[in-house]
Amino acid sequence: MAETFLDSTELVLNMGPQHPSTHGVLRVIVKLDGEKVLGTECVIGYLHRGVEKIAENRTYTMFAPYVDRIDYIAAVSNGLGYCLAVEKLLNVEAPARAQAIRVILTELNRIGSHLLWLGTHALDIGAITPLFYCMREREYTLDIFEKYCGARLTTHAFRIGGLQYETYEGFEKECLAFCDLFLPKVDEYEELLTGNRIWRKRLIDVGILNEADCKAFGVTGPMLRAAGCKWDIRKALPYCGYEKYDFEIPTRENGDTYDRYMVRMQEMRQSARIIRQAVEGLPAGPITAKVPKVIKPPVGEAYVSIEAPKGELGYYIVSDGTTQPYRCRVRPPSFVNLQALDKMARGSLVADLVAIIGTIDIVLGEVDR
Amino acid sequence: MPDDPKPEGTPSPESAPSPEAAQAPVTPPVAAPVAAAKPPAAAAAKPPAPAAPKAPAVMASTAWESDLAEALSAEFGGDAPECLTYLGQPFLVAKPESIVPLIQHLQDAHDFDYLVDITAVHWPERAEPFDVIYVLYSFSRNERIRIKIRIAEGFKPLTATMVHPSADWLEREVYDMFGIEFDEHPNMRRILLPDEWETFPLRKENSILKMDQRWVQENLGIESGQ
Amino acid sequence: MRTILRKVFLVDLLQGMWVTFRTQHPKNIVTEQYPFERPKIAERYRGAPRLNVNPENGQTLCISCDLCALACPEALIVVGWERNPETKRKDLITFTFDTSRCMFCGLCEDACPVDALELTQDFELASYSREGAIFDRQILEEGIQPKKYVF
Repeated sequence: MAETFLDSTELVLNMGPQHPSTHGVLRVIVKLDGEKVLGTECVIGYLHRGVEKIAENRTYTMFAPYVDRIDYIAAVSNGLGYCLAVEKLLNVEAPARAQAIRVILTELNRIGSHLLWLGTHALDIGAITPLFYCMREREYTLDIFEKYCGARLTTHAFRIGGLQYETYEGFEKECLAFCDLFLPKVDEYEELLTGNRIWRKRLIDVGILNEADCKAFGVTGPMLRAAGCKWDIRKALPYCGYEKYDFEIPTRENGDTYDRYMVRMQEMRQSARIIRQAVEGLPAGPITAKVPKVIKPPVGEAYVSIEAPKGELGYYIVSDGTTQPYRCRVRPPSFVNLQALDKMARGSLVADLVAIIGTIDIVLGEVDR
Repeated sequence: MPDDPKPEGTPSPESAPSPEAAQAPVTPPVAAPVAAAKPPAAAAAKPPAPAAPKAPAVMASTAWESDLAEALSAEFGGDAPECLTYLGQPFLVAKPESIVPLIQHLQDAHDFDYLVDITAVHWPERAEPFDVIYVLYSFSRNERIRIKIRIAEGFKPLTATMVHPSADWLEREVYDMFGIEFDEHPNMRRILLPDEWETFPLRKENSILKMDQRWVQENLGIESGQ
Repeated sequence: MRTILRKVFLVDLLQGMWVTFRTQHPKNIVTEQYPFERPKIAERYRGAPRLNVNPENGQTLCISCDLCALACPEALIVVGWERNPETKRKDLITFTFDTSRCMFCGLCEDACPVDALELTQDFELASYSREGAIFDRQILEEGIQPKKYVF
């Protein structure tokens, strides 16, 4: 008996689907040797709502609110991607003012999404304070959304061909005030975390994914940039007039969890920079392009992708000439990024697994759709 | 399994594909590389879906003239994929058997090193009812292309996981939603839906209300999920 | 030497704590005491639906055109009307709005040609039963009356 007792055996452990650090309903089956992770397998689909099927049964206009629910943390980005894809099919372009407002709102949303990520990621690691601070600043972005379009999370801010709402009085002022307020706050978060010894020990060299692996696994967004690839769709294939704004793509070399944290912190600063430029150069003019009331794109297909906070968010829409999309495929960044979890987690410790899941910045609504 | 009722009984004018005979669907693409600027040929290959009385229900795509299209036709000769473009977005129409070698070649020779997405579209009226679409991107060329293959019911395209590991989940999702199995895939199981689920929801014959009633009753203990 | 002193006097810790204490100043508190303190709701907020009536004579503004029901992605609006034999116009009889399925996208509001249907700033939509979430014409015209609790 003593022999078998001392024999080290592998342990298969279920993490989730209801685990606070899996950010939703992700279930990870972990194979462990003591504390060491030998392999992981993700079980997803608990939040599957069949968004792509819903799209086939709704008109183009009606489907727009549903895309907000795919990635509910970055609803504005989702709406933008969908509207751009339908606009591509219709071959129209939103007017300059609409584009600038779209840029402002998506960048605010990017900040909000990164803030929520930072707060929860820090919470996973064990630092509670940043969560409250991040939520506090995120509230300002949500307030701007609420005043602009009437909803905080599932905004439905954009319409096909432009915008539904003109900016409210004081929109520009509030956006600029947010930028002024926000930049010192990022320094504050960094003060709490960047040099923090516990934070560094928990993150540096954890969950390394190098550039070649990133490309092989199709990983995009901050994860790819943390591995040293200077690639951002806003620069590579600009949409919505991003080529007019002056901003940098932050990159790091190692591709570990700490680098992803640094990249996202820098990205928030860059987003604030874009917002400032967009607000200061906000052109006057109409906010909707000429689109028919009943949207009926010609037969065809288009793939349009944007840089969502989590990575490349693509919409592939096939039109058969009717008012409803024949097929609407969402290329979710979280789903594809999550696939690299096994690669990153193999050989790490269980506690690191929590950090790694947090660093992917997944939203299960988007993984499962 | 949906493989059983093979729709070979429906003879179509352009090709009669059988899943085993790899030579059969050669007919349409053979003409393509010779006359690359002949988009109507591609259009004709797609029978207008529900016999729409008005405007021909085909995509107004044109031939894609670029270095890549020329290079591909030079490299593949008679087997080259059709290079088309619509709304400024190029796409290739390839033969189902040659999809993985084509992706491999695009990666090796033309630097298309990032597989963005794999998805499918169901066209129930067509002889080859599924389009499988691969979206590729090249970081160095900053170019995105789509590759489309048309496959018959029950045809199993080769998996792209050997070339791009990211194809793993994407192919599983295509299987989950459309029932298209990928040959030699390491783990061809459902991914989003439960393993015991019986239908493939994104096929057009399944309406949005149709669901696996039996599964819902057995596993959730409720009468209906609607 | 400096690093040792930093460690001995817990400089890093104190720096971090300073950030924490700084934000505890009363003027930096952002928490809202919700039931006691009503939040400021934006003017464009999309909350509980309301069916507007003409303030002068109390008659409904709705012309029973059914456009909101057609625009709704969830098809949760049912408009019941009857043709008035005298005026030859549609008279609104019933109007049902199922908020349990509503996602407050605002498409119905956009579709309304006479601004009769409107999403208001009321946000307290909780109810004890699922049926309570289905609004009939009376609730829609009078507005929701959430129970006031006294603490």
